[in-house]
Amino acid sequence: MSELLQYVVTGLTTGSAYALVGLGIALIAQVTGVINFAQGQFVMLAGLLFAVLQEHRVPTVLAALAALAVTVLVGLALERLVLPRQAAGRTDQAIMLTIGASIVIEGIAFVTIGTEPKFARPFTAGEALRFGGASMDRQYLWVIGIAALVMLAVWLVLTHTRTGWAMRATAMDPDAARLSGISPSRMSLLVFLAAAALGAIGGIVLAPLQSPDASVGIGLGLKGFAAAVIGGLDRPAGAVAGGLAVGVVEALASGYLPSSQSGFADGIAYAVLLVALIARPTGLLRRVTGERV
Amino acid sequence: MAATDTAPAEAPGGLLDRVDANRLLRPLVRVGLPAVLLLIALLLIPFVFTRVAPYTMSDGVLLVLLATASLGLVPLTGYAGQVSLGQAAFYGTGAYTTAILTVRYHQSPLLGILVGLVVAGLLAWLLGLALFRAAGHYLTLATIAVGLVLAVVVKQFDLTGGAEGISGLPALSLGGLEFSDDVSFFYLAAGVLVVASLVVQRVCRSQLGTTLLAISDSPIAAQSAGVDPAPQKRFAFVLAAVVSALAGSLYALWSSFVDVNTLDLNLSLQLLIIATVGGRRSVYGATVGAFVIVSLARFAKEWLPAVSSHAGGQVEIIAYGLALILVLRLLPRGIVGAIAASLKRLVTPTAKASE
Repeated sequence: MSELLQYVVTGLTTGSAYALVGLGIALIAQVTGVINFAQGQFVMLAGLLFAVLQEHRVPTVLAALAALAVTVLVGLALERLVLPRQAAGRTDQAIMLTIGASIVIEGIAFVTIGTEPKFARPFTAGEALRFGGASMDRQYLWVIGIAALVMLAVWLVLTHTRTGWAMRATAMDPDAARLSGISPSRMSLLVFLAAAALGAIGGIVLAPLQSPDASVGIGLGLKGFAAAVIGGLDRPAGAVAGGLAVGVVEALASGYLPSSQSGFADGIAYAVLLVALIARPTGLLRRVTGERV
Repeated sequence: MAATDTAPAEAPGGLLDRVDANRLLRPLVRVGLPAVLLLIALLLIPFVFTRVAPYTMSDGVLLVLLATASLGLVPLTGYAGQVSLGQAAFYGTGAYTTAILTVRYHQSPLLGILVGLVVAGLLAWLLGLALFRAAGHYLTLATIAVGLVLAVVVKQFDLTGGAEGISGLPALSLGGLEFSDDVSFFYLAAGVLVVASLVVQRVCRSQLGTTLLAISDSPIAAQSAGVDPAPQKRFAFVLAAVVSALAGSLYALWSSFVDVNTLDLNLSLQLLIIATVGGRRSVYGATVGAFVIVSLARFAKEWLPAVSSHAGGQVEIIAYGLALILVLRLLPRGIVGAIAASLKRLVTPTAKASE
């Protein structure tokens, strides 16, 4: 029983980081129609930079802020330099461009930082907390707390600010939004910056738990996709639920699978993604409503 | 003298002649000329690649196999606008099926190839049944996931040789000819590439190609014109899978070894980049793109260890990514598409006059 509790707690922790990644994917998909395959590289880049800066004795807060800033700049470069203006028309081209950007970011990380994993220190030192037979690293609290705060902030911005309204309007009907004076180009930029920041925060809080190396971007991105697809690519709240689900399934699989088959645990998040796509390509949590045309 | 007499009548006659000439020439120019150029280029490869410094003959074999494997992306990605990042899953399915049948069950290589095609086609058909129900770009995600799941699965089972893979495949022999060295295998694979190019081109130029283009341009308009997009996309997906599997089976027999790298996401990326860089609306783009990618890989291997010591083989992927981005932004129709467009601009005035 305490074993189960332990796996669920671990899964909810990593899952809340996956939720941030998935939230970024869902926001971009919603506002621009583009599926951003470079999202996982934002996560990798920020986590890796954070760990490397810590290795060079940069204080934790500064290292986190620097990693966040660099990643957001990369998001800016992706949206302004790589993607064409008016990406909405040819999403297949935009998708391939994000794939290209993803490869380039990964390659540059390999060349500059190398292939070995980097180890990040937890945000605060101290013994693990214990409750009900489960032990909880202090970093778990940081991950869950920061993820919850960030999601709350995203929700507040989306529902209570003019920019948030404009974003949601663009997602609902880009043409009508443009006619009422909302710049699709500005919305696209904002949403890419937000997604880069979300991915970066996910990468930074995860780094002390899963030591990042330059190759983890694709895997983390796919977990974010699984989160977003389970929740429905068009519903940010769904991505959060999806992220938690992916984290818990992954933790349960790697906990309960016999060690002879531990290799399967690696593939579990991908299998979850595949099953979600096959079972309900429009998102498991989506209510059945009329299709937007 | 006679010339002045017939001068007034020559105009309609000349026009008629030109129409006839066009009717004869156009299919020749559209199908014949590029196919002949492809043949010449392929026949040159054994002479060039065995003599020009960084290239080797195995680069030549790899070039035609990669070109074949990416051919199916022309109808699927170029026409239907569906981005697949799982071609390696089918390439690997073909390779593994052939390896299992020949090594574990001692069947003939030819049977191994044929069963590989069927298995890959069935897998794609089943996936297509599930995936093309909804509009959108889920195919890209699903194909990545399929490749990664298959990669995990083949590493777990004894039948597929686990992490070590399967070695000791027999050499392919057809009608008393054995294709065991690089040069003879190259001619065989090049022949397969030419035939596959013509078949895929035939599909693209058929009603199906037009339908796929319409679906990609405006799914709603296509649907209201009575076209159900799902079966059409599924056909393109199965075709792409079968052609990739054929290349994968040939690869397995050539290298006499199969491991998880034949299913790798990096290979899928390479195949997508090959189709895009070469020109994803033209079957000849695949060969051009494969030449670019094989050259990038070869030059990266030769030069880059000197540039960066601790990056291993990962540096060339920067070049792949940059090639993909630059071509998509500067030559959206790829190298062959750009050449075809500039040729068309030269030819268009006369073509217009005759129509």
